[in-house]
Amino acid sequence: MLETLTALVTDTVADAAGEWDVSGEIPIGVLRGLGSKGALCAEAAPEFGGLGLSGMDNGQLTAHTGTLCSSLRSVMTSQGMAAWAVQRFGDHTQRAEYIGRLTGGDLAAVAFSEPGAGSDLAAMTTEIRRDGDEIVIDGTKTWITVAAYADWIVVFGRYDVGGAVAVVPASAPGVRVTRVAAPLGCRAAGHASVVLDDVRLPAKNLLAVAGQPVVMLTTIALTYGRLSVAWGCVGILRACLTAAVRHAGSREQFGKPLLRHQLVARHLAELYTAERTATFACEEAGRSWDGGSPEQVQAAVLAKHVAAQNAARGAASAMQVLASAGATGGHVVERAYRDAKLMEVIEGSNEICQLILAEHAASTAN
Amino acid sequence: MTDSTITSSVADIEQRIGEFLKAKTKTTWEPEVDLFASGTVSSLFAMELVVFVEGTFGVTVEGADLALDNFRTLRSMSSLVTRLRGGDAGA
Repeated sequence: MLETLTALVTDTVADAAGEWDVSGEIPIGVLRGLGSKGALCAEAAPEFGGLGLSGMDNGQLTAHTGTLCSSLRSVMTSQGMAAWAVQRFGDHTQRAEYIGRLTGGDLAAVAFSEPGAGSDLAAMTTEIRRDGDEIVIDGTKTWITVAAYADWIVVFGRYDVGGAVAVVPASAPGVRVTRVAAPLGCRAAGHASVVLDDVRLPAKNLLAVAGQPVVMLTTIALTYGRLSVAWGCVGILRACLTAAVRHAGSREQFGKPLLRHQLVARHLAELYTAERTATFACEEAGRSWDGGSPEQVQAAVLAKHVAAQNAARGAASAMQVLASAGATGGHVVERAYRDAKLMEVIEGSNEICQLILAEHAASTAN
Repeated sequence: MTDSTITSSVADIEQRIGEFLKAKTKTTWEPEVDLFASGTVSSLFAMELVVFVEGTFGVTVEGADLALDNFRTLRSMSSLVTRLRGGDAGA
């Protein structure tokens, strides 16, 4: 199954990733094609039309996608997180309906961040309220991955004294989606702002978990997202390592291959180390996830933190090794350099990851 | 999941969760004490508790069951486990 899926992604992306990056768009048919085969949320349960991959196998698929195209990998992260949120937060009817759609070719964004609530998600002000048999949603969400492509937007907001999650059709009256112009990285991932102005929906669009603490809801959803981003960063590192090794082995300067110059060799050693340690951190978190261990919460943060930092450093090293050979728009290393930096910012910035890890370290100290 | 976990009593369930909580918080918890009211346990920790309960007792906590109130005390968690094992997922 995993091999079939990685081959599917390879064939689908072919050599188009650079072009998608430069144009800022993945053809919608490509996304729907992968989505309808279940490949964008491959952990979704077979009873809802999903492929039922383990977290570890889905991680490998995510990393593979990340080696080819971080924009497509971002779509995968978003779709997977949407399916996971519905699985966790919805009742059986909602799971059957929405996960069925997400494995049937529909695309989904997950909306957490707001103009006044980025790292501090608990400060979100988007309001979801009940009005008879309906819910009404008001608020503004920013930098929402996939929103420009999405059929569905999974919106987190305040509800009563806690939080709630609504599944909002992007076509609903009152929903306004505006693309982020020229994002730094993952340029074809469809980042957009989403304004929700008096959006009225049937109450069945409110996931069953309504009323629970915002932080609990976001933590549950983000644990999937963090692990997925971490695997995507492993993919970035693998792509950079391959490109750097190939270049350093074939290009000669001062009468010998770059590889034989010790200062260049050090870049390769560090890239290799970065890829391996990020992989190990992801595998540890993946085992924890698949094994149902409570450690998965911190393990996902650790994996995300290690992988994102390694990817940012590793992509910079690869850029240094390739130099002008990698410095044109859409080149795999040039994309990696920009995409990896963005990975240090999203799904919990480096600093937010550090705060969570510090708190964990303090609470487990003897 | 072994046969012994399927048949474990409320006391067994509470003991196992209690041991987990003690290891995590370095505090012994009485069955009816509110974990979250004390400030020792964050709502973020609630997710760890959810995953622990699922993994240890072979249940799945989803949808409306995923409520903080179900994890507020050792007693509420043992009630949840007992109910979910009764076959009705409640969602």
